[in-house]
Amino acid sequence: MTPLNDEVRRYMGLSTGPIEASEPVEKGEVRRFAQAIMDEHPRYAEERPDDRYGAPIAPPLFPALMFRRPLGKPDPLLHAGDPDYDGLSLASHTGLPDLPLPGSALVSAGVEAEFYRYARHGESVVQRSVYRDIYEKQSSRGGQLLFTVIDSEFRTGGGELLLRFSYRYVRR
Amino acid sequence: MTAHQLCFEDVAIGDEIPELVRGPLTSVHLMRWSAATENWHRIHYDFPFAVEHDKLPGLLIHGDLKLQFVFKCLMDWVGDNGWVWKVSAQFRDVNLAGETLTICARVLERERAKDFGIVNLSIGIRNEDGDESIRGSAVVALPYRGGPAVPYPFQPAETAKVAEEA
Repeated sequence: MTPLNDEVRRYMGLSTGPIEASEPVEKGEVRRFAQAIMDEHPRYAEERPDDRYGAPIAPPLFPALMFRRPLGKPDPLLHAGDPDYDGLSLASHTGLPDLPLPGSALVSAGVEAEFYRYARHGESVVQRSVYRDIYEKQSSRGGQLLFTVIDSEFRTGGGELLLRFSYRYVRR
Repeated sequence: MTAHQLCFEDVAIGDEIPELVRGPLTSVHLMRWSAATENWHRIHYDFPFAVEHDKLPGLLIHGDLKLQFVFKCLMDWVGDNGWVWKVSAQFRDVNLAGETLTICARVLERERAKDFGIVNLSIGIRNEDGDESIRGSAVVALPYRGGPAVPYPFQPAETAKVAEEA
């Protein structure tokens, strides 16, 4: 049970300013990512003469998943001894503070993605995110489910649009 | 334009695009994805936590990973000179470690824009039992036969849709 109380409701509309990923698009990170998605296309490692991207690139959704905790920021694993700690911190990826709902299970409910341009190796990536919506819905199995919708936009450091992402999460 | 480039004229409503199969996706595959994205959510690798704490039926295949497969399936279809513009996916059910996933898509609509064609598709993911876990839609752009590649970076605002010819 995760009630939509006033404390949680205050997060609706909360947004980040521009946040630059702690590292630019790195060749090694792209390799690990490409291997993990089982898409080892050579365009992710090298520039090919017949490519029109101008440089080696990262897979399309890479920019949305390259935001990591910078050195010096609080380590969320400090709480790993808590039996309710689920290991997930949206704050690490979006820059938005986690909702004050400790102990509630969270899973992905859906996503909408718009894709405009690949990120090139060596480019910096900047994101802005916002809690677009937070709402409750009756579960088919009884009880209330809390849905969170986060919109994110990813641009290069030079301001070129890479992709937009809207993620919907559900907490039980 | 590459020899095998799909063109708008090649596509008909009702066409099913080549399926992409991934799996069996073991807990090792999930751990590799978790490590590549620094996603430490325990429901993907900590079986006791997933089952006993979160009351899940097993380790969950990441929604983000499944979305990569959807993009891969569509990108393979549209080719280097096409573009996968939009993907919308509802995660209707979970997939568990050990399952094999099949990504599929079917053409729903075709529309002509000024410089390229737009194709709307339904998308889905099912496991080896035929259970559908993802349902959604996609919008891709394809070059016209003999025409230029879809603009890169993609620029949808510069197009003006016209009615599909009978």
